[in-house]
Amino acid sequence: MSYTWVLGRRALREALRTPEALLPTLFIPMFFLVVNLGQAGKIFPSSTTGFLDGQNYGAFQLPSSMLLAASFGTAALFLVEDIEGGYFDKLRSSPVPRTSLVLGRLVAEVVKGLGIAIVLVLLALPFGIHVASGFVGFLLLIALTALWAVVYVGFMQLIALKTRSAAATNSGGLIFFPLLFLTPNFVPRHMLTRPMEIAATCNPVTYVMEALRSLILQDLVWGRVLTGFGVVGALGVVMVMLNLRMIRHYD
Amino acid sequence: MSKLVTQRAAGESFVGPAVEARGLVKHYKGRDGVVEAVRGVDLRVEAGEIFGFLGPNGAGKSTTVRMLTTLLSITSGTARVAGVDVAREPDVARLRMGVALQEAGLDARQTGRELLVLQCRLFGMSADDAASRAQELLELVDLVDAADRRIKGYSGGMKRRLDLASALVHEPQVLFLDEPTTGLDPASRLVVWEEVRRINGHGTTVFLTTQYLEEADQLCDRIAIIDGGRIVREGTPTQLKTELQVRLGLDDEPSLDDVFLDATGRTRERVAGVVREVGA
Repeated sequence: MSYTWVLGRRALREALRTPEALLPTLFIPMFFLVVNLGQAGKIFPSSTTGFLDGQNYGAFQLPSSMLLAASFGTAALFLVEDIEGGYFDKLRSSPVPRTSLVLGRLVAEVVKGLGIAIVLVLLALPFGIHVASGFVGFLLLIALTALWAVVYVGFMQLIALKTRSAAATNSGGLIFFPLLFLTPNFVPRHMLTRPMEIAATCNPVTYVMEALRSLILQDLVWGRVLTGFGVVGALGVVMVMLNLRMIRHYD
Repeated sequence: MSKLVTQRAAGESFVGPAVEARGLVKHYKGRDGVVEAVRGVDLRVEAGEIFGFLGPNGAGKSTTVRMLTTLLSITSGTARVAGVDVAREPDVARLRMGVALQEAGLDARQTGRELLVLQCRLFGMSADDAASRAQELLELVDLVDAADRRIKGYSGGMKRRLDLASALVHEPQVLFLDEPTTGLDPASRLVVWEEVRRINGHGTTVFLTTQYLEEADQLCDRIAIIDGGRIVREGTPTQLKTELQVRLGLDDEPSLDDVFLDATGRTRERVAGVVREVGA
């Protein structure tokens, strides 16, 4: 774990020293939150819209923004830079467990994800959005967002390690991106058209979004919350296993 | 040498050659089928030597070095560095070797000091030991003044010296340098040469690949020339020149350039012709 943490700290330093890569992860999700609230806020007034549980439409949209913020995968692009620049070989030539080489970045992603989630919730407060599930719910909210970031970066790292190309990693990330929108993004799942509802039901991201949303709009609904954590946990295990397999066979 | 480094080096003695490869082969799967990058390389580098590994582009130099340094899997054959089988015990081998690859592999967002401290930590040192070892190395390669500046602002020569320092954090017994002076100006090249001699003077075996024959002539005790994935010449620079002089019945002693051209089947005319074509 110490090697992983040493490498994780280096990845965090890298992120902090690249604000031009960090700021869009906050700005773009906030932009979508404001735009979506502006466009649909009047269609779904809090007084007559049951699924908002008394909050405004921004509260319904916040989970989408949080998932978007956690799905930039910039850590994988930094990994490609390391590979292309030769620094990854420098790290590989040290007697560090191969697992630490990929886990270091994933640990850093957890910390980064927590920070981004906290900032987004704070930025949402002036829009009248609050976390209805209280302090415990707030902690679960940022934890689930950070774990999602690990899943997404894990996926991006797989592409990075396989292709060793920034262009391919960027493009490869887009394959996953539509899954973020094949969800009950604007309205609850039962209000979607039947084909969209089926697609959203098959999409694991839906359950993460619904868990986040329940934490913002309602008191602790453990069934939803645990389902969200279960999905993220399962995907996280798969991504970590695939990353470890990839690094062990990296030539 | 610091107490810290002396303690570390003391427990890692070995008997036999510093580098030994037998029947080393590397095959890649390419788009047009299997590529035979290295085809049965045998090497023996004695402890304390500066060994030069020469060859034209694409001859298999870097592939061989990457196999010896655990960065690339071995298709067949065996390789031992400082007495350790690199395929069977890669982590033990990594503790005994230092590696500075073709292009200085550095993280431009870190400072020189941060990079060295990190490298020390990766070799198992505590935070305090890492900080003091980093300071020693910064002094050694004359980068103290630039230590707390980001690496992206370093010149090519500074980057090379930092890369070299990062390969020395654990006082390795064998140091692999892949084209350490490529792209450097003549003054920086001389600094690196002095550094290599100094490191070797402390007992570290140096395995050096280079395309500069003058560099090999100046620095190396023995050299091997690889072409087409096979070793085509091996010996001291003097032995190789004498062998060529005798074989061709030359009046004057040939240069290492002549040995290289002879060994790789190239001629000055052909090389000059290629240059002219590129120039046109």
